[in-house]
Amino acid sequence: MPIDAANPVPPTLPRRAGPDQVPDHVAPELVRSAGITFAPDFLKAPHDFMAGLHDSFPPIWYDVSPFQNAWNAIKHEDALFVLRNPEIFSNEGATPFPRDPDDYFYFIPIEIDPPHHRKYRNIVDPMLSPKGVLALEERIRKLANDLIDEAIEDVKSKGECEYTTAFGRPLPVSVFLDIMGLPQSMRDTFVDWAVNLLHSNDRAIMAQAMKSISDYLKQAIAEKKATPDDGVVSRIAHAEFDGRPLSDKEVFGFVVFLFIAGLDTVFATLNNVWMYLAEHPEKRQEIIDRPQDIDKVVEELLRRWSVTFSGRVLAQDCEMRGVQMKAGDRITCVLPACNFDPEVFPDPLEVDFDRPRKTILAFTVGVHSCMGAHLARLEVKIALQEWLKRIPAFRIKPGYEVEYRPGGVVGPEYLPLVW
Amino acid sequence: MPKVTYVAHDGTEAQVDVPAGENVMRGALYNGVEGIVGECGGGLSCATCHCYVDESWIDRVGGPSSVTESELLESVATELKATSRLSCQIEVTDALDGLVIHTPETQY
Repeated sequence: MPIDAANPVPPTLPRRAGPDQVPDHVAPELVRSAGITFAPDFLKAPHDFMAGLHDSFPPIWYDVSPFQNAWNAIKHEDALFVLRNPEIFSNEGATPFPRDPDDYFYFIPIEIDPPHHRKYRNIVDPMLSPKGVLALEERIRKLANDLIDEAIEDVKSKGECEYTTAFGRPLPVSVFLDIMGLPQSMRDTFVDWAVNLLHSNDRAIMAQAMKSISDYLKQAIAEKKATPDDGVVSRIAHAEFDGRPLSDKEVFGFVVFLFIAGLDTVFATLNNVWMYLAEHPEKRQEIIDRPQDIDKVVEELLRRWSVTFSGRVLAQDCEMRGVQMKAGDRITCVLPACNFDPEVFPDPLEVDFDRPRKTILAFTVGVHSCMGAHLARLEVKIALQEWLKRIPAFRIKPGYEVEYRPGGVVGPEYLPLVW
Repeated sequence: MPKVTYVAHDGTEAQVDVPAGENVMRGALYNGVEGIVGECGGGLSCATCHCYVDESWIDRVGGPSSVTESELLESVATELKATSRLSCQIEVTDALDGLVIHTPETQY
């Protein structure tokens, strides 16, 4: 039975974590611990690590970790199946962020399955459609160039530019705040909250971050209700669903979800891509030499540097590749690994802008595929165009070893560049 | 406002109003018409909004609007026909008022 989004209740699903909590139906030979998102060898080079899973792990295994036990799927074909069959693989209860059980809410629309899912999406989709985001193009170009001005000054005065704070972080966050109708002055605070929520791997810190975010957004929603504008927060606050106004819980769950989804993912993507380009002058040159192919470039870089994962809860028993999964089990599609499936993308770690066009999983697929995908593509495209126009040659500061942050959005912690 | 009729694989028809400037994929999604998935949201990267333009409309609608659309059409899940289009690439205009679109049995 579909959940009632206006009257949220916490999921009753037991939380399974650690080797003592493996259900009886899981075959012992399928129980493994990959350490995705936190193991030291993952953090050293996460994408190489996830590509390597195709050699060292079965296509589907039951992953046991201190955070959550779940089936892990790494084949492209399997991810398509999971993500395209919401009646088997549900999003209800699948989002692992801590919430106060006494003041529970759903993340909307990600935790709402069909048929209601689409009705929520229709509220904001027009602003995030390919056409909708084009209205932001000039603004994003201007913002990118302002940040590049500062980056160039940084290198002149300090000899280096720390990319993640100079560009990777402020660009997508500023764009997001504009779209939402929230003040730019909150930019760095927002990013700190998102980092604590997504990267701390500590449930107490996550809960504290969630509280700070909640308090701020509740106040922002109240302001938009009183004084409407054309930003997304206001649009949601004044939206209707099946002819009734959205409840306070729905408005809050929608806004807070966009906050979490929108702040950190493009950030991590840009950081990964710039790290790669810093070490691959021939690819930088190829991008510069092929301006007409920028969309292909963006798509291939999104495949090669995907940053996140997609979890579901089985609503019914299901067998895949002979593996018996039962209702109530969790499954995680390891999207970067799926984008490295050698059967679909031969020589998967190689960046090749002329690959035959295949569905990439950076944004997932199916009804829950990323609402912000067009915005993300546009931001990456503009960032590449404007940066390479003005800073065609750059490299990682000699002697610096890149380190990754633990957590569900995969990107380097810092990236000091010189040129 | 232009009207678009979507004819499902089983013959079921749904006629809906789609504002000029919108595309045929969104016209279906916004009105709860089944048969079009559009999982990438119109980004020309998924081929899950495949449709067949009714024979009587194909001259006015025209063929694929880009090389990318032609390439993606090769990976659709059902038979590729001369009237096949990706519905996210068909912009609804006043001149297309009355357009008839046939949706395939499946998009995957």
